[in-house]
Amino acid sequence: MARAFRRKGRGEDLRYVASLDADERDVVASLMEQVAGLLEPPEQTATGDEAFDALVAGISLDGDPGAGDAGPAQERPGDRDPALDRLLPAAHREDAEASREFRRLTEGGLRHRKADGLQRAVAALRTPGGDLALDAPAAGTFLTALTDVRLVLGSRLGLESDEDLDALEARAARLDPADPLGHALALYDFLTWLQETLASALLRA
Amino acid sequence: MSLAPVTEEVVRPAEDVSPDVPWVTIVWNDPVNLMSYVTFVLQQHFGYGRAKAEKLMMQVHEEGRAVVSNGPRESMEADTEALHGYGLWATFQKDS
Repeated sequence: MARAFRRKGRGEDLRYVASLDADERDVVASLMEQVAGLLEPPEQTATGDEAFDALVAGISLDGDPGAGDAGPAQERPGDRDPALDRLLPAAHREDAEASREFRRLTEGGLRHRKADGLQRAVAALRTPGGDLALDAPAAGTFLTALTDVRLVLGSRLGLESDEDLDALEARAARLDPADPLGHALALYDFLTWLQETLASALLRA
Repeated sequence: MSLAPVTEEVVRPAEDVSPDVPWVTIVWNDPVNLMSYVTFVLQQHFGYGRAKAEKLMMQVHEEGRAVVSNGPRESMEADTEALHGYGLWATFQKDS
């Protein structure tokens, strides 16, 4: 049975500590690994541009690479996994060209940093031991990794408005216990609870 | 509010060429991000105090959006990128 994140110790010894059993750790780590996988650049299907963009995304470029415009798959958000569009949303609501340019310059780096944070959170979960004890930077990384997983799960559950979650909870109450939707919603609620306790503990810092 | 990506193209208004109108970064409400988390991110990234961060968070929650920073376009793009890193639904645009 999981126990909420709480603050423990002071100063340099301050840790954010939660108790998760082996199954809970495994479930959360697996979800984080899946989201990290979702964020991997699509190298196999790339025309070459995406792979190139991934390479240069972390580098500050003075000039425009010019001919290296992203392929059509990058330009039509509708072609992408909706969950990926929630992790990496359009950055300008009205100017498609500005969004495209932003995506071209930032997406590779964002994918890399998100995947890296998720993997670090997984490593913390896979570290043997009773409690999960995180220092402040690791707690921040873990908190954002939980966000990325909840964004993907929320997308899969079709959560688009604040009302959708209430409607889904009401629907789930009438579901067969074996229905995968109920399981997904239970996972989502568990992650929400875990994240809320960690965010609250961090806000008290 | 929908989470669907924005795909429609809109003709840029004429004032878009005005050089002295600042740009803004906007955070939009979404059903996933927690109020506590949004407050934490605004404090963490912008260095805002608790009261300012909570006020902006409540504005996002109640009005559906809030301007969280303003300045030159490059800075707003950098803020938007950082907020995407945190999983917030952020956009940048010319202030109107």
